[in-house]
Amino acid sequence: MSQYLLRLLRVPPEPSAPDGSSESIRIFRAGRNYYRWRVVVWAMTRLAGILGGIVALAFIPFIPGTPAWVRPITIGVEVLAIAALAAALPFSFMLQRLNYELRWYIVTDRSLRIRSGIWSVEEITMTFANIQDLRIAAGPLQGWLGLADLEVRSAGGGGAAGPHGETGTSHQARFEGVDNAEEIRDLIVERLRQYRDAGIGDAPAINMAGASAELLAEARALRAAVS
Amino acid sequence: MQPVPPQIASITRPVDRLMTYYVLTAGATFVAFPVTLVVLYFRYHTMRYEFSNEGIRMSWGLLFRNEVVLNYARIQDIHLRSNAVERALGLARIEIQTASGSSSSVMTLEGLVDHDRMRDFLYSRMRGATAAKHDSEAGLAGVLHEVAQELRAVRVALEKRA
Repeated sequence: MSQYLLRLLRVPPEPSAPDGSSESIRIFRAGRNYYRWRVVVWAMTRLAGILGGIVALAFIPFIPGTPAWVRPITIGVEVLAIAALAAALPFSFMLQRLNYELRWYIVTDRSLRIRSGIWSVEEITMTFANIQDLRIAAGPLQGWLGLADLEVRSAGGGGAAGPHGETGTSHQARFEGVDNAEEIRDLIVERLRQYRDAGIGDAPAINMAGASAELLAEARALRAAVS
Repeated sequence: MQPVPPQIASITRPVDRLMTYYVLTAGATFVAFPVTLVVLYFRYHTMRYEFSNEGIRMSWGLLFRNEVVLNYARIQDIHLRSNAVERALGLARIEIQTASGSSSSVMTLEGLVDHDRMRDFLYSRMRGATAAKHDSEAGLAGVLHEVAQELRAVRVALEKRA
């Protein structure tokens, strides 16, 4: 069933790793509990949606000043909306499982690539030379399930920061729902060290003139010693 | 500056399938269908690409003209996005980000024949994809330092002999 759905939606197979030495490629996947987390979030949002619809339906007869012929139409639309939401439940439940299974977080020695999504598929590629900061965030439910999101950011602005520091910007790649966020963070930090000019700041100056002057002084001293 | 592969340098227009997608997109806006269709129709017919050795130039629009020029070396992240309708038509969007202050992408390449190849090409040209030039300079300074030490050793040896 889910295979049929994937074919129908033309979901591409596993992504290819970006350039980098082949032995450095590490592929991370979402943590085992990420599926549970998704199901809980999914159940809560659907429940809220259906309850909201029912509450609205209960209030319709009490709206003052509406002509009598509007009432049945409003009720009809409302019932249809709730029915559609309920009918889509099995479908959206299946998508939660697929969304968990079809996630790849690839890290090479030079860059990272993140693939996610079913209906809307997204692949982000970012080189380490452009990374500005790393951030680990976990909500209470995620923390309880041993999950966390690792966000890798590049330079550039975007939406205002939300209450938990999350931003609506596309200047970031998210390792969503991983159970080894610290390990991935340490791996990226270690590989970032090879890029002393990472980010958009100035690179530490290399003292080329100093090295040349040192060489010249030695050459002179040598001539003096010989002659 | 490496030259651009001919199959990429020859791209100037999006593929016809993009117009099909635009018609479907406009259809999804129901009441606004005529307006959206006209906007997208002109967007499709005025869209031009130019892939030079330094960067990309993209222009579109007739009444409201837009032209974006972007250097490969300034690309920060590349997003390859597609929804199910686009995939059914064999399309995908490549959204390119630079370090500018906007959260939306600087340039969105649409209607490319082979979006995976284009993404890989852009990736190979973006900053940090190849080993930095910086490291070779650091290496040179190191070599100069070693040569100086060798000379010093030669001088010390000479002075001992004298």
